[in-house]
Amino acid sequence: MNAAAPAAGPDWAGHLARFGRALRERGVRVALSDEADGLEALTWIDLGDRDEVRRALSVAFKIRPHDRAVFDELFEKLWMPQAGPPRISRALGTVSRPRSGGVRREAEAVEVDAAAPSGEEVGYSPDAVLRKKPFDECAPEELRAMENLIARLALRLATRKSRRLVPTRGRGLVDLRRSFRRALAHGGEFLLLARRARPLEQPRLLVLCDTSGSMDPHVRFLLQFVVALGRVAPKAEIFAFNTSLVRITPLLGRKALSPGLIERTLARLAAEVPDWSGGTRIGECLREFVDRHLATRVDHRTVVLILSDGLDRGDVEPVAEAMRALADRAKSILWLNPLAGDARYEPAARAMAAALPYVSRLLPAHNLESLERLVPLLTL
Amino acid sequence: MEREGYIGDPTIATALYLSREMRRPLLIEGDAGVGKTEIAKVLARLLDTELIRLQCYEGLDVATSLYEWNYQRQMLRLRLAEGEGKSAGEIEDLIFGRDYLLERPLLRAITRPTQAPVLLIDEIDRADDGFEAFLLELLSDFQVTIPEIGTIRARHVPYVVLTSNRTREIGDALRRRCLYLYLDHPSLEKEVRILNLRVPQAGARLSAEVGRFVQALRSRRLQKTPGVAETLDWAQALVRLDRDHLDREAVEETLGCLLKDQNDLRDLSGAALEDTLAVATLATGAAG
Repeated sequence: MNAAAPAAGPDWAGHLARFGRALRERGVRVALSDEADGLEALTWIDLGDRDEVRRALSVAFKIRPHDRAVFDELFEKLWMPQAGPPRISRALGTVSRPRSGGVRREAEAVEVDAAAPSGEEVGYSPDAVLRKKPFDECAPEELRAMENLIARLALRLATRKSRRLVPTRGRGLVDLRRSFRRALAHGGEFLLLARRARPLEQPRLLVLCDTSGSMDPHVRFLLQFVVALGRVAPKAEIFAFNTSLVRITPLLGRKALSPGLIERTLARLAAEVPDWSGGTRIGECLREFVDRHLATRVDHRTVVLILSDGLDRGDVEPVAEAMRALADRAKSILWLNPLAGDARYEPAARAMAAALPYVSRLLPAHNLESLERLVPLLTL
Repeated sequence: MEREGYIGDPTIATALYLSREMRRPLLIEGDAGVGKTEIAKVLARLLDTELIRLQCYEGLDVATSLYEWNYQRQMLRLRLAEGEGKSAGEIEDLIFGRDYLLERPLLRAITRPTQAPVLLIDEIDRADDGFEAFLLELLSDFQVTIPEIGTIRARHVPYVVLTSNRTREIGDALRRRCLYLYLDHPSLEKEVRILNLRVPQAGARLSAEVGRFVQALRSRRLQKTPGVAETLDWAQALVRLDRDHLDREAVEETLGCLLKDQNDLRDLSGAALEDTLAVATLATGAAG
């Protein structure tokens, strides 16, 4: 079977470009190359068969299950609302692959202003004191010193061994391929054995940070810590939640930690997300995470960090359900609770109690010392 | 496709057709057990060609996926060659020849002499990002450079099928390189047709009940949703036990074929089991 160039028919390229743009506007990631694929796919199929066109475009545009509904809806609306064009013969011509110009890819990441005055004011108060002082009792200068401490703490984060083998100078398994090559240089004598060993691997982290009103005194520091972690663990994914779930990885990004970054991020979140710093709906948020992100963002190597006080007005049933799904998939779940620093604390808050059976460790997170203890656990 | 023991649907057919005509790899995503791997097998049978399979896992590297030298043979030859008084250059040419090369799946896929094979790269989501990048390069050029030998070009560009269970997001670059198909669990009608085709001994009533039971199960929130493979296992188990319909006893005896998670098994006892069973046997049970 051969194909006809679609140029013979209506303006397919233009039509595809418009369709692609509409999809992008609704958040479906369709690239220019996908549109080119779509155009080529159209040359191979029966253009009069609307269902086949739809199927072919979903294959060529790489439409993932969560974008399916939007794709179908827009296809219904935009794709040649009248009956399809007359059937184009497939028996002539060669495949042409015209590029649909004029469509620009939207910038995907949200840009956060990185330039900020740097406040390097370390150390008029001894670290030891800082480490034990709860976040909510610190003076502004102390807070700034603490930011630096946190950044250093995160860097101390141990890393674990990968399962891949890479060449090494030290000890390791004998690498026959490279040993053999070297032996040739010495007339076939194995003077030096090349070796391979497991390299260190960055931890995979997923952070779910509660930003509701009751967490206000702690959020700043916990987020700071999380961002610092993100720098040593580039695979870290960070979500914030209160009454809804927001992925903030792109906001915090891979940027160097500058003193104003957290403020700006928080301000931005507060502006963009309704009901910020309001109530909490842990259950709904966790469930949303499980439904939309669990499959692709959590695997058996991922350590899940939940930062929350567990104070929740919602139903507890979804909390338990979502936690179970999370626990099943993740390597471990660490729950950091700022309230747990108090010796009298009992995990009695209903959501906290419901989640507890699925949590590997419940840890306090009210001062630096508690965060410090967390570091080795992240690679367990 | 049906002839080859596979019940497809138009979307699968379109995806396979486009992948073949456009000579592009096909990336198939979906839950475990929806029949992703089976598609590659059926494609190989349809095209009447060889299926070369590369199972991915964490730590998969070039030595196990592409090629490796046969060191033992090389060493023996080296010792022999020394006795023959050959020069170093001659020896090197000798032992880094094609005879001493062990072809792994990826290299084998591009060196088939007669016709293009189907290359199945299974569970690509298990391999690490580095391997994905390497694969991207291979899938663009279909050529491999071995330092000691030179560049080997594909004689026949293989039909490539990649599958992923979505345990992690596949990189954008690789995704864009491929055509894409998402496989969902089959509809009731399709699942019953699969049952009729693959487990014909089950009979109409049992097949219909099994199909409805599994469909009802999938609508529950489970840890491990049963796939078609589990449905087929279960039907086979029931046939072995000489059942021609579903009842409580039969289900309880055999549910382990279907649910492979302790929590799921515990959840589906008592009333929940009764309910599901009632849905499954609604149409046929009263009459039978």
